[in-house]
Amino acid sequence: MADLIFYDKAAVKVTVGSTSEVLLASDCSVSFSSSVQPLYSIGKKGSLGQFPSAARVGEISFSFLTSMTGVHDGQPGNIINYLASGIKGSINSNASGAVIQVAGLSGSGFLNSYSFNIASNSVSTSSASFTLFGSGEVDPSAAASQFLNLPITGRLGNSDYAPISDNARLATGIGHGRFTNLNDFRTELTGPTSNGTVFGADYSISFNHNPVYKVGQEFPTCTYYTTASEQMTVTEDIFNSGLSFSGTNVNGEAGNVNLNVKGLIDNNVQMQIGMSGVKQINTSASAGLDDIVRTQKTLVAAY
Amino acid sequence: MLGRITREAESLTINGSGIQGVQSISANYASTAQFLNNLGVNDVKYAPQGPQQATIDVNTLLTHTLSPSAPTLSTEMMYGFTGDFPFSGVVNHGSKKFIFTEGYMQSYSVSCAIGEIPTISTSSVVYGQFGTGDLTNLPTDSYPSEINIPSYSSMEINLNEFTTNRVLSFNIDVATPRIPIYAVGLDVPTGVIAATPVEVNISFDIEPDDYEIKNMRFVPEQTVFKDTTITLKKNNSDTTLLTYSFEDMLLTSESFQGSSNSNASINFNLRSFILR
Repeated sequence: MADLIFYDKAAVKVTVGSTSEVLLASDCSVSFSSSVQPLYSIGKKGSLGQFPSAARVGEISFSFLTSMTGVHDGQPGNIINYLASGIKGSINSNASGAVIQVAGLSGSGFLNSYSFNIASNSVSTSSASFTLFGSGEVDPSAAASQFLNLPITGRLGNSDYAPISDNARLATGIGHGRFTNLNDFRTELTGPTSNGTVFGADYSISFNHNPVYKVGQEFPTCTYYTTASEQMTVTEDIFNSGLSFSGTNVNGEAGNVNLNVKGLIDNNVQMQIGMSGVKQINTSASAGLDDIVRTQKTLVAAY
Repeated sequence: MLGRITREAESLTINGSGIQGVQSISANYASTAQFLNNLGVNDVKYAPQGPQQATIDVNTLLTHTLSPSAPTLSTEMMYGFTGDFPFSGVVNHGSKKFIFTEGYMQSYSVSCAIGEIPTISTSSVVYGQFGTGDLTNLPTDSYPSEINIPSYSSMEINLNEFTTNRVLSFNIDVATPRIPIYAVGLDVPTGVIAATPVEVNISFDIEPDDYEIKNMRFVPEQTVFKDTTITLKKNNSDTTLLTYSFEDMLLTSESFQGSSNSNASINFNLRSFILR
């Protein structure tokens, strides 16, 4: 029987460049697949066999508590937020990816999507998804070089790393709805004045990467970051029927607005996501039994 | 020597008025702090998950009524909180106390049986503060009250059945749902909606003479709707202290018990919904 790996020995570690962080993950899934297709020909009932039609790829996705005491670049946050912010603001198309390790498995991947939520009186949870293309850059010093740079490598085993403890019993460094202020995102109507109350928000950003393959090699020679699209849905209690044809600007024509997430202490420490060129493209209202009429609006930005 | 706190050192004050005839108080909260579990867990951490609330349950005998001139819904003080408004108060026990704010009543019931003084039970949820602290800037509705004890022998029930059938007991339950609305950035509700409908159930235990059990099928000609009024009067007096009146109550259940050593008895329940 294989070793049984209990969840307390299956921490998720993400490494970006020379910096790494063990996340407070609540789940993680890893998959590795090959695109094998059957081939058929005239004159033969059965298939000629099954043959690869694309390179092997891997997927790793996980959910984690929105920690604000991890790797960051200026503003408090975690390594996924740091990575997403870096890619979003990147002017260099050649992407290097991140190394994700969990329970003895490892792979180098590119951030597909990153999201988190904020709700009243609740801990914020995030999720991230990576696509692992592998790499055509073979390490010549390795003996079995044909096995290097696979999208996923390793076998199940106990992780020898764990989240760093700050010895605080109350998780003050986790994003929480208690002190987070989202008034910058509320709908404000005039004549008569009516300001919305924000009940919650869901933030997400997705990235497009383009792996470049060449004949004679399964895995891409390099991977380029192309575009990113950002979306935020805000739940409140105002329906803005003044939505314009070209989308409604948020916070002025430039549409620059910061999403600040605070922990369990009301101080200046906050994770900040800078959104630029934000437009509101949707507003909706829903009514259900035993509740107030709640509205949602969708804000988008593109990079 | 270890001290103890007995009833004479305990009191309940709501909106500045002392509550009389209290038989029991139960106040409690349960922390919403949750253990934060994660893959690779190596540390115990907690964070609040969900809104923090408390509950207060109070049982009283109906021994006092407010002055009829008090601007309240009813001369029975607690019945007034079945409406839209919250209440705040303090519980003293010995030299200690705890406060509560933004209490909203969720259920109110009054019951009486032969040989008893009417008992009132309430259950409220506290959305504001609970525990240490001081009450500031709160209304103090210190309305005068006087001792007025009704009894089972001086109450009136308007249902026709009771001219020939003996009422042993009755119970009125009023459920007043509340919907708290929580916004991001606050730990107390931005508003509490007095939800609708208010459900009222009245049940009676009777010893029947000519009472007839109805057909349980929902047959239109046998579907029973009744206006129900229960009037509590001062003991050995014709002075009305309190009236509970509800319209168009639907007969929702009946049960019959017969045994070799007691009179036959029937319990039936009436229900109505009040939109507000």
